[in-house]
Amino acid sequence: MVDATTRFFEDLDRRGFEPLLEKTSGTLRFDLHEDAQTTHWLIQVDRGRIRVSREDRDADTVVWTSPAMFEQMAAGREDGIAALLRGDMTVTGDARLVVQIERLFPGPPDSRGPRRLFAREAG
Amino acid sequence: MVQSNTIRILDGNTFVVSEDTGDIEATPSEPTGLFSIDTRFLSRWVLTINGERLNALSYDDLQYYEARFFLVPGLATHYIDAKLSIIRERAVTASFRETITILNHDERAVDLEIRMDAGSDFADLFQVKDEIVNKKGEHYTEVEADRLRLGYRRGNFRRETTIASSETARFDQRGFAYTVHLEPNEEWSTDIDVQTAAIGPGGRDLRLGLQAHARERLALQHDLEEWIAAAPKVNSECEHLGRTYQRSLVDLAALRFSPLTMPGQTVPAAGLPWFMTLFGRDSLLTCLQVLPFAPEMSRTTLRVLASVQGTRFDDFREEDPGRILHEIRYGETAAFEEQPHSPYYGSVDATPLFVVLLDEYERWSGDGALVKELEQECRAALKWIDDYADLVGNGYIWYERRNTDTGLENQCWKDSWDSISYRDGQLPGFPRATCEVQGYAYDAKVRAARLAREFWDDPHYADRLEREAAELKERFNRDFWVADGEYYALALDADGRQADVLSSNIGHLLWSGIVEEPRAAKIAQHLVGPRLFSGWGVRTLAEGEVRYNPIGYHNGTIWPFDNSFIAWGLRRYGFAEEAAAIADGIIAAASYFDGRLPEAFGGYRRELTKFPVEYPTACSPQAWSTGTPMLLLRTMLGIEPHEGHLAVEPRLPVGMGRIEVLDIPGRWGRVDAFARGRMEMHRLAE
Repeated sequence: MVDATTRFFEDLDRRGFEPLLEKTSGTLRFDLHEDAQTTHWLIQVDRGRIRVSREDRDADTVVWTSPAMFEQMAAGREDGIAALLRGDMTVTGDARLVVQIERLFPGPPDSRGPRRLFAREAG
Repeated sequence: MVQSNTIRILDGNTFVVSEDTGDIEATPSEPTGLFSIDTRFLSRWVLTINGERLNALSYDDLQYYEARFFLVPGLATHYIDAKLSIIRERAVTASFRETITILNHDERAVDLEIRMDAGSDFADLFQVKDEIVNKKGEHYTEVEADRLRLGYRRGNFRRETTIASSETARFDQRGFAYTVHLEPNEEWSTDIDVQTAAIGPGGRDLRLGLQAHARERLALQHDLEEWIAAAPKVNSECEHLGRTYQRSLVDLAALRFSPLTMPGQTVPAAGLPWFMTLFGRDSLLTCLQVLPFAPEMSRTTLRVLASVQGTRFDDFREEDPGRILHEIRYGETAAFEEQPHSPYYGSVDATPLFVVLLDEYERWSGDGALVKELEQECRAALKWIDDYADLVGNGYIWYERRNTDTGLENQCWKDSWDSISYRDGQLPGFPRATCEVQGYAYDAKVRAARLAREFWDDPHYADRLEREAAELKERFNRDFWVADGEYYALALDADGRQADVLSSNIGHLLWSGIVEEPRAAKIAQHLVGPRLFSGWGVRTLAEGEVRYNPIGYHNGTIWPFDNSFIAWGLRRYGFAEEAAAIADGIIAAASYFDGRLPEAFGGYRRELTKFPVEYPTACSPQAWSTGTPMLLLRTMLGIEPHEGHLAVEPRLPVGMGRIEVLDIPGRWGRVDAFARGRMEMHRLAE
């Protein structure tokens, strides 16, 4: 079974174009590190067009976190902005980029969204 | 509660609230301190000389970011014959800086032990506001030869205050001290620098790379001068109107802040001290108020709000795709998800108001490029209205919080728990649909139809929006009209029953244009009638309602911002005299607050109290109170963009004299507007 992290990046790469990033350009690298090992994921955005690779290259924004925290975020169980405020994730470079990419993460799996009254009565 | 003798200086969301001596002695409930990113970084900052506290002779708050205190030793219990003067000068920029100067006026030399007690509780602003004290992390203090570090740690969350001094000081666990010998007429001085830090693992500051825009004191001064120079000039025979405008202009400059998520872009923060952060509703309404005077603010606010528009369902944050945020916070409770503000989306009016502001901004500025740039976000906002806000499925915007623990019960501007009631005083169940929000939705659709036709090249979408708006207006006028009172109900409950009290919300309906023409006169009559109008302004809830209380937060007080939109609405429907009466009352009230309108003041009759009674815990300055005089100027002068130029149709209250507003910016370049007051107020209806 593929983990949520890999699935998140593969989905993003497959999508090719993301309307939410239409006004965004730049490169962002996630460095997921644990002990001596660091996994890199590089996202290149060019006005909505996205490419994902595992290159360790210079980027406009670099985000550090643990693989475990990222896995939770990719599954919607942790929130990226709260993780940033808490220091469980740190950023250098252009903060706008991380805020834009954070919006692509899923919401919590148990969040149901607004429910219409009649739907509730039926359920 | 904020004491009236506290001195506040600020830059963005870094601010210092102190006593009039410059000292800070915070208790859990006393909101003095040095605050930044929603955290208190100093809760104790007390200066003594030879063990004695100092007494304030006077202080100047020179600019919003700097203040000066003149002090002498001893307490003011009897006549002071001081041989020493102490001057504390402080400024908030990227850090907090204080210069202490001591002058010896004695003919003899003196030996002084000068001490500053320093400490921090690192309280989250929410803990200060709601008086919560138990901290889950640990405090630490590190004494170094040349600095004192105060810190707080909880997991990877770390906030630190570092204090350094230009003169050599002895640092200890509880502050720092100097031993000074002063000859007659000699003076001594030291610069103290207090840095705040939000440190992540590896010692990186959370704001690293974001601080590039933090400004130095001189840059701040230059920026303020530029801000004032760029704004229209107001010359007025009515002296306090001119003063009120100046005060508002400077306060508005002070309230500009740059969110962590959008460095370099400034938006209006909601208010000092509790709300130095981005609020969707407050920022949007403030931008609407100040458009003729500071149009730039609308552009950045729209961009910032668009950049964090909701994209997914999150029940804790009450986020939905297309929803515009309510509030963002950076403190410990947001970080650990004890509060949902990272960001929180629980408001139903910010989303339609986002569309309203974009259209209004284009009408003034001619900035069609921004309308094209934000097309996607506008469509998402309109889709949110139809798909996610209609909880009952009958074509209205409803709210019922999904975060039942820390979410807001009332997601409209009157957000206190008891603000929505039936005539018998009972509170309706949820979901609720308040009337003014339906007006905003109507207005958003009408305005978006224009944008779709003129900028998005989508006439079909425009037709659809106009059709939906017309249906909404018809439906609304059927369901919300209170037949026996001849006004609109404050809200509907899920069964369609009316919360049938008379409230100020009906004024917003005029502003939105959802009121059917034949009913407008009746609404105008209510607004300036004795149950709603106190003589100073329109009460949030009418006298005679069960829950009416002249100092009830949303049940009887008068909110200046509310009144400014009501005045705008009255003018929209041609009730210029009624609009002028409201403008007259609010501007008169401002003169009692030195030109700085509070968030709210009491709903007592004007003849009864003779002066407006400030609501006890009101925020000040507060953005939408600060914007109020500007919107009132707009309504009194009747300035309105019209086919590419600025139309002027003044209707001033009697006694207002002549008003000139020079250099109003817009698609016409810059133009002037002139008006003379000559209306007779006694012709007003009872």
